[in-house]
Amino acid sequence: MEEKQVEVVVVTKFQNMKKIIFSITFLCAAFLYTSAQNQDSTQVYKKKVLDNTEVDFLMSLYKQDGDRSAVGGGIGNEEITDFTPTIVVSLPLNDDDVLTIDAGISAYTSASSSNINPFNNTGASRGGGDDDDDEYEDDDDDFFPGASNNQPTGTPWLASTGASRSDVLASLHVDYSHSSDDRNFIWGANVGLSNEYDYTSVGFGGNVTRLFNEKNTEIGLKGMVYLDKWRPIYPTELDEYDHYGNNFLSNGYFEGVNVLNQNGVATNSYLPSAFTSISDESRNSYSVSFFLSQILSQRLQAALFFDLVRQNGLLSTPYHRIYFADKPNYYIGEASYIPVYTSPQNTGVYQLADDIERLPSSRFKIPIGARLNYYISETFVLRAYYRYYTDDWDLNAQTVNIDLPIRLNQRFSLTPSYRYYTQSAVKYYAPYETHLSTEQYYTSDPDLAKFDSNQYSIAFNYNDLFNDFHISKFGLKNANIKYSHYDRSDGLKANIVSLGFKFIFQ
Amino acid sequence: MKKLIAALFVLFLMASCVTVKEYEKVYINDADMKLAAHTNERFEVNFQVYREGAAGANGGKTGGGCGCN
Repeated sequence: MEEKQVEVVVVTKFQNMKKIIFSITFLCAAFLYTSAQNQDSTQVYKKKVLDNTEVDFLMSLYKQDGDRSAVGGGIGNEEITDFTPTIVVSLPLNDDDVLTIDAGISAYTSASSSNINPFNNTGASRGGGDDDDDEYEDDDDDFFPGASNNQPTGTPWLASTGASRSDVLASLHVDYSHSSDDRNFIWGANVGLSNEYDYTSVGFGGNVTRLFNEKNTEIGLKGMVYLDKWRPIYPTELDEYDHYGNNFLSNGYFEGVNVLNQNGVATNSYLPSAFTSISDESRNSYSVSFFLSQILSQRLQAALFFDLVRQNGLLSTPYHRIYFADKPNYYIGEASYIPVYTSPQNTGVYQLADDIERLPSSRFKIPIGARLNYYISETFVLRAYYRYYTDDWDLNAQTVNIDLPIRLNQRFSLTPSYRYYTQSAVKYYAPYETHLSTEQYYTSDPDLAKFDSNQYSIAFNYNDLFNDFHISKFGLKNANIKYSHYDRSDGLKANIVSLGFKFIFQ
Repeated sequence: MKKLIAALFVLFLMASCVTVKEYEKVYINDADMKLAAHTNERFEVNFQVYREGAAGANGGKTGGGCGCN
């Protein structure tokens, strides 16, 4: 009862805060617009906002490894490889207007995602899913030859070869900005679209920025709306239950497949009755961002960032498995591996889910950040960043980032960086096999658990002062490469290499 | 936390008395003094949005637009 009262107070607090925030947002926008109208009537000399067309070729290669896969209900291989080539073109439309087009893909392979259907290449799909490319439905004969009695196997510790192992996310964003004649007021608008196999996002937004005090002070306001849509994919066993109902063990995917209990004995007791398919497949996000920057001296400047983000809809991931502590366990595969299920020694059995991750249909996030940059000398610059984050799922986080660019000469610079991040768990999180079926919301996603992380980076930057290197009519402006190593306290490790080349049209 | 925000606001208010002229901004206009993440950080920010529960307040991605947290 007391808990409920606290929850009501928190919700009311967030609702009141929202009203205040939207009022302030409206007043700020009105003020920025009015002051811009007054300023813009003055005829002054103006330099082009962007002199020439600029093209950025960017790419990154990301690899991670861990052993707490959310698809495996909090255990299993988390290996991911992601390659992201991207191109960003900035076009000066006239003296005041710039159009930026940002297009890229993210091509990844994921061990976690592959185990949405962990049995795919081992024959269990003979009854339910067609995992080859021909025109005939489910005609493949790919029973796993090594498995006993031609029974399918799987394991959360190895990637399956199913279709969900890899995917490509394609995205396109277009941004337009206009600067006033005195360059003290900027407004912009943007639209974006991204798509992958099970997720589509459409986003749009606008921003205004006002500069004061001989451009020593800058205030900005930005609003974004994302209207996203899931096309849910469920773990195979739950998808079959959804399709065939209570008789699913003798139909489709499960026909002729032995389901084992905790003792390794074949049984027909498995019934994931907690599972129901998702009705609301949308995920909408609304954000308002405030920005304030100030020059503090000839060598020091700082900025404050303040975002308010509201999300509604399907905020859980439909293929994240949940195993309840108060329900019996069932498996497909080789019984001999059941005692070592939670260790990588298990190479032949997969536990069947009780349900999928369930999370509330709304979330309100408040991140507040600050940057402080100090020009120490011609050789060193100090860049510092701090962020505090809180939300109504009880996740609190802090981030600290320090960069120290070191100028080796006029062309080359080196930037070592360190980032520390810490977060508390969301109130709906519990590790593998510890949630109870009586709970309303549950997740075993390690990304929402309590952890700390350390990230160490080194970047190397080259400035081509005279644009000596050319491709056609484009001269190289700068090139950079950055390597980062990410180390999380729960064992997840990641490495990322980013590469960028900026060319200008001459 | 409230104290930190208040302190930062006071810092800004005090600093508003100081005006650095355009011709004195040679250090401020240095590329490394930019008050935003560098272009080559966008991919890092992207993976952090997926791997961590927090996002936003860095002038960039705030949430939405992906199947991330």
